[in-house]
Amino acid sequence: MAAAELTDTLQAVELADGVEIHLRVAGPAVRSVAWLIDFLILIVCYIVVGIIFVIVSRWTGDEIGQGLMMLCMFLLTWFYNVVFEVGAKGASPGQRSMGLKVAGVSGAPVLLSQSIIRNLLRVIDFLPFGYLLGLVCCLFTKKFQRLGDLVANTVVIYSGKKKNLIAPPKVNAEPSAPPVALSREEQAALLLFVERALQWSDARKIELSNVLEPLTGATGMSGLSRLAGMTLWLQNRGRK
Amino acid sequence: MNSAEFEQENQPRWQRLEEMIEGVEKGRAPENVEELPTLFRQTCHDLSIAQHRIFGMGLVERLNNLAIRGFRTLERRAGGGWESLFRMILVKFPKMVRAEWRLFWFCSFIFWGPFLAFAIWTPHDPEWAMSLLGPETMVSLETMYGEHTSPQDFIREEYGSDFMMFCHYINNNVGIDLRTFAGGLLGGVGALLILLFNGLQLGASTGYIHHACNPSTFYSFTSGHSAPELIGIVISGMAGMRLGLALLIPGLHDRKTALVLGGRKAMTLITGAVTMTFLAACIEGFWSAHPMEPWIKYTFGGVVWLITISYLALCGRRVADET
Repeated sequence: MAAAELTDTLQAVELADGVEIHLRVAGPAVRSVAWLIDFLILIVCYIVVGIIFVIVSRWTGDEIGQGLMMLCMFLLTWFYNVVFEVGAKGASPGQRSMGLKVAGVSGAPVLLSQSIIRNLLRVIDFLPFGYLLGLVCCLFTKKFQRLGDLVANTVVIYSGKKKNLIAPPKVNAEPSAPPVALSREEQAALLLFVERALQWSDARKIELSNVLEPLTGATGMSGLSRLAGMTLWLQNRGRK
Repeated sequence: MNSAEFEQENQPRWQRLEEMIEGVEKGRAPENVEELPTLFRQTCHDLSIAQHRIFGMGLVERLNNLAIRGFRTLERRAGGGWESLFRMILVKFPKMVRAEWRLFWFCSFIFWGPFLAFAIWTPHDPEWAMSLLGPETMVSLETMYGEHTSPQDFIREEYGSDFMMFCHYINNNVGIDLRTFAGGLLGGVGALLILLFNGLQLGASTGYIHHACNPSTFYSFTSGHSAPELIGIVISGMAGMRLGLALLIPGLHDRKTALVLGGRKAMTLITGAVTMTFLAACIEGFWSAHPMEPWIKYTFGGVVWLITISYLALCGRRVADET
């Protein structure tokens, strides 16, 4: 499926077990939204920490309250993301709300050292302003990695927990063998066409099946139904 | 076999794997958990078949997700926790500093060169240092270490101020370490600039104190924490340079691999540097400001320098390299 590799964000990874899995890496747009959510959460945290320590310093004295506040600010600034990324969900609250998580390039859970590196290097990705360097780096790497991701060997992927499985559509057509032997890619194209056909209007389906006139020998509705018959035949592995 | 038959036949297995993974993710140990690797491998096999026979997007995606989750479950590590941290600090870190001795001397030179030049030159010709420090810094140096102060004065009087200063040093000095490390990714330039600037600033301060203040107040304050703090910043410069050099001179590897490998080394260095700076902040916060005879302070400082240097030079020598 060569065409799919060019248009999809699916990244093939070969595991040690020899099987190939596909990770769906997340692009800069959705990651920016996730970052914005985290940023707002951080601001709220700063304010809450500030208020708490104003109250706490009534008992402990100004100096200790101020000290604790500085310590909290330090930890929040440098380690907010790390704590969440190495946690069970593998994602900061912002990333989680966008259905993303951080993983090693093989899809494995992110290690503590990896998470620390990728988050310490945020200061560089942020340069010269608003994560411009990170964005440019994302756009020039195949797996949308910013500089911190490159050094830590991590990717941000969709966590893919959506359970709504789409039942394969029922096709009402008479199974019929294609007139010529089809290559694997051609078979895949036909099968994907049927699976995706639900999303399209009839006019669009006909328009697309007209392209296959050399194969079906017909245009319009009859071309479409012959095409559907062939895919049915392929799905049933040649049985009636 | 078509897609539906395939699904029907293997469905129970996938469901069992899914339930098992869910159990493990929630922290329970499900029944027959020892079967998990086998189930995972079988499911991987099913995925390959489904991919090869083009069994439809829905099924392939479901199996793909299941394989990823299984892989993540099997790949979970309990982590070495404290043990690996101690091992890092006692063995890996000093070894790494010795292995990168060229970088160590290079970064030391970048930091100590301007430091010593300014510290020695300023008492003869304070103009340069004064314009670098600016009036505010000079005033604060004079209030802390001025001519009328003595090492026996309380530098901090209020209750809790030791703790506050400790937190301030953590926030400020560890922050500088981390920025130095990150700055190294810009081809080393960021790390070098921060090292150079800190060398200049501290050198100018030292020189200015010799020119206008009471040096014995200054030295009895700084002697205790100077060793871990100053060596800590040099080592965070090394960590930054490791990253920068991986980018500039990847050597045998391609640039991306070199960055990942360099990043691992740099991670060890910066962990050690941050630990040293943390210790320095403890000393600076809770010891350095207390009024004591200067000779006690100097002896303590000397011992800390000796410990720091022998730690870096000797620690972990007998432990064999990890392969």
